[in-house]
Amino acid sequence: MAGLELKALRKSYGDLEVIKGVDLHIEHGEFVVFVGPSGCGKSTLLRMIAGLEEISAGELVIGDRVVNEVEPRDRGIAMVFQSYALYPHMTVYDNVGFGLMLAKTPREVRDKKIREAARILQMEHLLNRKPSQLSGGQRQRVAIGRAIVRQPEVFLFDEPLSNLDAALRVDMRMELARLHQDLGATMIYVTHDQVEAMTLADKIVVLDGGVVQQVGSPIELYQRPANLFVAGFIGSPKMNLLPAIVDAVEGDVVRVSSKDLAATAIRASGEGLKPGDSVTLGVRPHALTPTESGSVVGQVALVERLGNETNVSITLPSGTSFMAVLDGDRALRPSGSIVLGFNPADALLFDGAGLAR
Amino acid sequence: MAVSSMGNVAGAPSQRAQAQKRSPYPGWFYLPAAIIYAVLFLAPTFASLYFSLTRWTLFDSVFIGFDNFAQFFREPFLVKGLVNTLIYAVVTSGLKVVIGMALAIMLTSQIVARGYLRSVIFFPVLVSTVGVGITFTVLMHPTQGMINETLALFGIAGPGWLVDPRLALFSVALVDVWKGVGLATVIYIAGVVAIPKDYYEAARIDGATKWQNFRYVTLPLMRPATATVITLSFIGGLRTFDLIWAMTKGGPGFASDTIASVIYKQYQAGFYGLSTAGNVVLFVLIAVLVVPLTMLLNRKQGHE
Amino acid sequence: MKQRASLLGGVAAIVATFVVFVIPFLFIILMAFKDRQQSALRDFSWPTGFHLWDNVFEVVKTRNWMMITAFINSSIITVASVSLLVVFAAMVGFILARRKTRWNPLIEFLILAGLMVPPAVVPTIWVLQGLKLFGTLHGMILIEVAYNLPFSIILYRAFIATIPKDMDEAAIIDGARPLDVFFRIILPMLWPVTVTNIVVQSVGIFNDFTNPLYYLPGNANATVQLTLFNFQSQFSTAYNLLFTNILLITIPPLIVFLFFNRQIVAGMTAGAVKG
Repeated sequence: MAGLELKALRKSYGDLEVIKGVDLHIEHGEFVVFVGPSGCGKSTLLRMIAGLEEISAGELVIGDRVVNEVEPRDRGIAMVFQSYALYPHMTVYDNVGFGLMLAKTPREVRDKKIREAARILQMEHLLNRKPSQLSGGQRQRVAIGRAIVRQPEVFLFDEPLSNLDAALRVDMRMELARLHQDLGATMIYVTHDQVEAMTLADKIVVLDGGVVQQVGSPIELYQRPANLFVAGFIGSPKMNLLPAIVDAVEGDVVRVSSKDLAATAIRASGEGLKPGDSVTLGVRPHALTPTESGSVVGQVALVERLGNETNVSITLPSGTSFMAVLDGDRALRPSGSIVLGFNPADALLFDGAGLAR
Repeated sequence: MAVSSMGNVAGAPSQRAQAQKRSPYPGWFYLPAAIIYAVLFLAPTFASLYFSLTRWTLFDSVFIGFDNFAQFFREPFLVKGLVNTLIYAVVTSGLKVVIGMALAIMLTSQIVARGYLRSVIFFPVLVSTVGVGITFTVLMHPTQGMINETLALFGIAGPGWLVDPRLALFSVALVDVWKGVGLATVIYIAGVVAIPKDYYEAARIDGATKWQNFRYVTLPLMRPATATVITLSFIGGLRTFDLIWAMTKGGPGFASDTIASVIYKQYQAGFYGLSTAGNVVLFVLIAVLVVPLTMLLNRKQGHE
Repeated sequence: MKQRASLLGGVAAIVATFVVFVIPFLFIILMAFKDRQQSALRDFSWPTGFHLWDNVFEVVKTRNWMMITAFINSSIITVASVSLLVVFAAMVGFILARRKTRWNPLIEFLILAGLMVPPAVVPTIWVLQGLKLFGTLHGMILIEVAYNLPFSIILYRAFIATIPKDMDEAAIIDGARPLDVFFRIILPMLWPVTVTNIVVQSVGIFNDFTNPLYYLPGNANATVQLTLFNFQSQFSTAYNLLFTNILLITIPPLIVFLFFNRQIVAGMTAGAVKG
């Protein structure tokens, strides 16, 4: 049984600190996704767990051992690389069995394990091929097979699907979810694709600038983002963020308005807020509906008709762009005027520091 | 393990030491190469700086200051060697650039029997230099050699290729070009092939003539190849020994001596200090000429 | 019209290259077939009889079968030094490409220096004597390794830089130690450059004349290039034997050329196109 404990992990290259103190608890068997924009430190963090990067400060616990100084091979982990990193001069069989061979596993045991991994991944027929004779998806399977065969407590995935085409990516995503169910091992998965994060994760860790922005289930992150960064990062199309001014604070209700927004009452903690403060109102495009009594008025700039829904890009009086996703097909006229409303319960309020209220 | 949480602060240096120890790229991989290189190349090179200032018998040496160098620049036959070396390097590298480029352009055009031509031009590169030298010594014999006999058929009195003191060095240089132009050619071919076809198509749309194509597209884009050819053949020319030795032994007289052949002659005569001084002169010559040359070639490349 | 012009140009090129590049080799072959009398004429005539085997036998057994000794010596030197070159240069190229430290510029400088700087001959003999390696095959092998390392390292480093670091890391995760990573993963992947290295360096070392001349004196240690030289003085009039000898030592490079033409050209032009 191996959960992980990351305690104030830091990584710096000379004066440049790229991981600025990460604390994280991962349960055994959890599927955890590190997500964030490129350069946020998510891959570095994964590589620190793998043992490919030194840990500058802090403590990493896998299972019940501190593994800061433990070699990668002794950490009970396996890793799948973005480039798959299959050894081109070896057959699939030898690729999958390489780790076992290094560990001096007896030949018969090795053979059994390799064939078992191949069976799980339905690639028995590929065992005698070289990586160059495989398609992208098949290579991906071999890379996963190489990880499975070592029976690790923790699987590490570094953007494993980003080299696949869109259709295959969806298939492999489901396959990985199935694998997680079957094996019951802990999996840590790095991606910049929020759809992968939302669909696969038990727990998402959003990183930016080497700092954990929020940890939570996909739905938590979607519904209750902790700050502006998470709000903007999770969800597609992106959440609309409107600057506004506090008009009044009445306990758990904050009244806000702006040039682009009619006065609106939002349920949010008003603690520390006072009239005149600058805040940001977040509204998801899907939360908007056209209504005569709406609080947002603008001009239609662009209409994308997808059949089941319609994406509308709107220019607000201040010039800000605003995005709405409306149900069904709507034949809106560009440059026409439109009034949109939303349920205040669906809106989020962020204070001047960018934190959710 | 119990102390490891404390160790983050106190044990930082020891952590670093461990990190070094388990690097997947251990520094000792350098060692076998480094030892051989240091002992058999670097050490003698540095030792040469001292021994060139001595009268030396291999067993003991007497420090005589710059006498060896003074002698090198005083004795006419040694000075001759220095001048010859420069002429030889300039002539061979110049000819290799011009002929190599011409052959490469020919061999990348739509010409018949390209494979045959490429092989035939390149093969001499792989043949023993001494073998080539001896063969051409026979072919270049003033009266019995095939070259002059053939010229005589056309009523031309062939020169004394290797026996005429004014000509000997150039005759050897010519054979050097014969043997080495194949390498220059394949380097240029690689350069020409690497030029994207778009440039020629763009030039064609602009109405460029064949000459303009060459002048404004091929030539500038072949600059890296030219830099390589010049550097390689210039260094090779300055260091040349085996071909000279096989063909003229520096003769007639000292007419085709180069620094490298002087080094060998002085070594044979037992003047080890003087021989080593020759080495240092060659070393300095290469440093003084080749370093600025490569910098010049590379800078121009940057401007393109 | 245009086609005929290019055909005409082609024929002209074939004739010209034939005269310049092929005839000297035909001359060598013809001379090797002639008897001593006819070869003394040194002309481009057809051999009057078939004397190749006589000549070969004569050349090989001369000076107490020196040719055989020489071929054995040259083979030992070539095989041993190329083997060491491949392993040592690949190791250096690997670390140099993978591990960036402040020493890298110095190492790169030393490699470039090795390509340019002519070896200091007499001091090298002095060092070899101190190590009791002067005039031995071991010493000669190490000299060839030292002098040819820079070129091999450059070939390897350029290629290793194209192998993603993921490969090393996947192997490390799989439990590979540094030697496993290098010998089981990296070295096998370097095979194409290794072939190039083997071919180019073998030809160079087999054909090396200058270094054996200095560092490997004595008839017992003769290499093929040196026998050629000895023969020339001894048979200054026996041209048939001289050219048979040249023919014999041209055969190994010819074989290499026939089988590895592509790798040789690739190796020798490496670096020419970059930049």
